[in-house]
Amino acid sequence: MRELLEYLARLLVEAPDDVRVEQFEEDDGTVILELAVASEDYGRIIGRGGRTANALRTVVKAAAVKEDRRVLVDIVD
Amino acid sequence: MTVRAEADLLTELLERISGALALDGTVAVRERDDALEAVLSGEDLGLFIGRHGQTIDAVQYLAQRAVAMLTGEQRRVVVDAEGYRARRRDVLARQADDAADEAVNSGRPVALDAMTAGERRLVHEFLRDRADVDTYSEGEEPDRHLVVAPAAP
Repeated sequence: MRELLEYLARLLVEAPDDVRVEQFEEDDGTVILELAVASEDYGRIIGRGGRTANALRTVVKAAAVKEDRRVLVDIVD
Repeated sequence: MTVRAEADLLTELLERISGALALDGTVAVRERDDALEAVLSGEDLGLFIGRHGQTIDAVQYLAQRAVAMLTGEQRRVVVDAEGYRARRRDVLARQADDAADEAVNSGRPVALDAMTAGERRLVHEFLRDRADVDTYSEGEEPDRHLVVAPAAP
């Protein structure tokens, strides 16, 4: 999931080298993926009306289903 | 930028996603009309398509954005799997016809479910030939939907 998110995010920004994904796990087993990008890329990664961020979440969630996990994608500063 | 680079990007994108979903699929990319069409073939691709096509539509949107970043141009991208787009077209055509009949019979506008921009365009096109109804879109994404109204006399 983490590798997938990192790969997808890099395709969508001007500064792929600045894409960072941190992974955490909550007590209930939920996986949290914190995505950070270069400051000028936040608009691109969120997209108009949040469409790009939502599409990323949808695809990463499909990958989580396969691993029988719950996942949350957080876009952080 | 060459079509080859776009095709390579789409192939890798779909392979990475189908890999992450543990699906065994092969990808083919071709140019069709004004769009680049990337098709995943394999068995049991339901997870790739998702409920109401949610996942495949998300993949298609990301693919379109990724191609735009690569080339600097807005190119239409279609992502398909297991004939999903053709089946969906049939469903949409039926819904469009039903809504048009209902609008004409009741004399009132009929709202369809929310759809992606590509699907709304399809329904507009289906109903363009019917002189007895007009179509227009209403609402904001992701709830933007089509309305079928009796044609103004």
